[in-house]
Amino acid sequence: MSVARRAFIQMSVGATVGILFTPTVWTALDDVSIWTQNWPWIPTLKYGEVKGVPTVSKMCESGCAVKVRTVAGEAFGTEGNVENPLSGGGICPLCANGVQVKNSPTRIKSPMLNGKEISWDEARDVVSEKLAAAGSKVAVISGDQSGTVNEVFSALLADKGSDAFYSMPCDMQAADKAWTGLMGGSGQIGYDLENADMVLLAGADALESWGPTVANMKAFAANESGKFVFAGPMQTKTASVTSKWVPVPAEGMAAFTLGICYYVLQAGKSVPAADFDQFKAMVMSGYTPAKVEAATGVKADTLAEVAKMLLAASNPVVVPGGSVGANAAAFALNLLLGGGMKVLPEFGKAIETAMSRSDMLKQDILQGVNADLLFVYSANPVYALPEQVKAGFTVAFDFVNTETTAAADLVLPIPHPYERFDDLASPYGVAAATYSLGAPVSKATLNVMSAADFVLGLADLGFETFEEVLEAKVAAIGADMDELKEGAAYVLEETPDVSGVTLAANVLGKAAVPVKGTGALGLAPYTLLNVGTANQATTPNAPCTISNNQLVGDHMVVMMASVTAKKLGVSVGSKVKLSGGNGECTALVQVFEGVLPGVVAAPLGMGHSVGDEFSKGKGDNVYKILTVSSEAATGTSTWAGSTVNVAKI
Amino acid sequence: MEERKASKRCGGALPFIIGFLAACVIGWAVIPGLFFENVEQPFRFSHSIHVEGQDMDCESCHYFRDDGSYAGFPTNEACAECHAVDPEEAMEAIAEAGIDPKDFDAIMKAEIGAIEDNLASESDEDKQAEREYVVKYLIQGEEVPWLNYQYQPDNVYFSHKAHEALNIEEMAEMKDELSSVVDPSVFDEPAEQNCNLCHLKDIDKNDTPPPFQRNILSGYSKMTMKMWKCERCHALKGQPNACYTCHK
Repeated sequence: MSVARRAFIQMSVGATVGILFTPTVWTALDDVSIWTQNWPWIPTLKYGEVKGVPTVSKMCESGCAVKVRTVAGEAFGTEGNVENPLSGGGICPLCANGVQVKNSPTRIKSPMLNGKEISWDEARDVVSEKLAAAGSKVAVISGDQSGTVNEVFSALLADKGSDAFYSMPCDMQAADKAWTGLMGGSGQIGYDLENADMVLLAGADALESWGPTVANMKAFAANESGKFVFAGPMQTKTASVTSKWVPVPAEGMAAFTLGICYYVLQAGKSVPAADFDQFKAMVMSGYTPAKVEAATGVKADTLAEVAKMLLAASNPVVVPGGSVGANAAAFALNLLLGGGMKVLPEFGKAIETAMSRSDMLKQDILQGVNADLLFVYSANPVYALPEQVKAGFTVAFDFVNTETTAAADLVLPIPHPYERFDDLASPYGVAAATYSLGAPVSKATLNVMSAADFVLGLADLGFETFEEVLEAKVAAIGADMDELKEGAAYVLEETPDVSGVTLAANVLGKAAVPVKGTGALGLAPYTLLNVGTANQATTPNAPCTISNNQLVGDHMVVMMASVTAKKLGVSVGSKVKLSGGNGECTALVQVFEGVLPGVVAAPLGMGHSVGDEFSKGKGDNVYKILTVSSEAATGTSTWAGSTVNVAKI
Repeated sequence: MEERKASKRCGGALPFIIGFLAACVIGWAVIPGLFFENVEQPFRFSHSIHVEGQDMDCESCHYFRDDGSYAGFPTNEACAECHAVDPEEAMEAIAEAGIDPKDFDAIMKAEIGAIEDNLASESDEDKQAEREYVVKYLIQGEEVPWLNYQYQPDNVYFSHKAHEALNIEEMAEMKDELSSVVDPSVFDEPAEQNCNLCHLKDIDKNDTPPPFQRNILSGYSKMTMKMWKCERCHALKGQPNACYTCHK
């Protein structure tokens, strides 16, 4: 026995040594080490065909033409669409994070009635009942400036005998009120920034937040020989790359523009408008360089220099931003100069009874909304217009939770832009009438429904689905559906007749007089797309691009010139309270000499009380301290001329 | 003392040598095979029918990112471009026939017109394979769980573009050094393209895919190239072997 045992041990030792001379142990160890890297909870990549699917993104004010990067049909990123002139391959900071927002936990997951989850059928019953009870006291607030979805909503209003269609305050509205309202024009104003040899951006922060920002930046990059001048109360990012910054208070922009008109008229420029003589007399007497300098602080030499640059150019264009008066003054100047201002025709309607775009822009939301039943579409009036909107019952359509959905009675989740049909008809500012279409890129994962489909189920508007409406729209335009779905834009090179246009001389003379609030400092609110807009809070990847001039920690930062800071007794980092309108904001101070003395510059778009970790509780809401003032001569309201009192805390 | 002498006589080095040799034989010839289990592909997919018969190339079904890295197999959407069976129509026909849509054998036996009329294959054997794909996956809306012979984990970056210039005839000069990395028979009659260096030899001409050999410990394919193999080839070709070369 002892011999066998010893032999067995010897053989075992031999086998153990022997196995070490084979790959078995080493391979097994290697495999085990690989096994330890494959825990089931480790996320893995999705594999499949990688595509760039064209569509439109409506997260920014103007909308972007994009290509959504997908793998095996699932969206994972967004880039610009080279084939579409609205993009040229570029994309704005909000739309760049479209996929992250699509997958955000702040998406609305199902219809909610007063915080309780309900079905779509129940939602339709509730709205039908409210609609029947409201009669004509129905209103719509839309945050979409360029979509055919507005035709669906306005057709519903028409069906109910209401014309209460409200757009959120935007540059397009001020421009339309000036052009079609005051000057008797038709169509939509556009600006040929790419081919202009002199561009005066009179308050339009065109390379950051005004108009079709991406197309503007592409035009700016392509226009190598053109000169760009920015006029405004603050040296914005746009001003930082233009040839010249002319400090002009926002409320003085119309007077500043008419001051330039003075030199242009003096140079003998004229326009065949019925009220040209009246206009000329008004400008030559009321807006002399001395008077403009007194009203705006802009020196006569500066006015003369800018006017000289415009007169020397063969294709100049003035791009306005701000009040209706400022827009009208700029249009008058453009007519005198005869340069790169374009008039775009409006595309044909898909729904016969829908309002025209101009009609949709007529209502003045700053004067307040009061309705028994209010539909809010992709807009956030509770955040941006906290005092203006009142309704008996509010239905909010959105794809993410906002202050407005939190306050609404009924919340109806709509698909994310990448999950729905949508379109972009001539966003304000483009040089030619442009139409782009978007089809779903990925399947909706939540219990959502297109707002237009929901509305089409409430009344007989002649269509069953929004897709049918868009087909009718494309047919009315005369575009090719397949080409549009492939990402190309339909561009219409046509100009409406402008022969009957006037210079609004009788109104402009009064409207251009600067009206300022009663606060100690002028307020220059500004928008940066990475910070957010009135309707869209900042997006997941954008906060890391927000500079210390806008946000430090959770504190908003306001900027002012050193002379202003000295006068207030504050310095860099001081905590201050800004009071204006009926609201207050807190902020930290940053000193920046690119702000007009006596003015404090504050970023719009922060201070959300509802939202994701990237926007909620970050900074403060400057919309609270904006002052709505009446531009009496034009019969409109404006935020220009807002003032604040600033106190150190 | 007597016992110790006896033990030396009866044992000595022989048991040790026997154990040593037995372990070597088992360790080299038997155990490595036990690490793998054969798993069949979801159904018979003939590369030759698609490549030679339909004039398709690798990129028709195997997707690559712009940088040449592998991006995946085709989805049903891509397959349906040719296998034009309408899932809705087929499902309606199955319901009309009173068959459980998940009873694949019954559906295949029933020879539903909405399916049979749209099969593209010619021979019975090929038709059966296509029918299996259509019934089990296409009309069910289920993507095919293909087994990837060369699967690499996400933390490995491999660009086909970076390797497309490798000349198989030049590589043949390193045949001996590469014997543990590349099947030597690949160099016997070198193919025009160098796919055979890493992929199943002449897979494009294959009519019935071989079983997927799954490692019972790691779960990876037997053909998944391990790091030392990548490094061996890189070293022989004078290419960098720094971590970041493959782990981005």
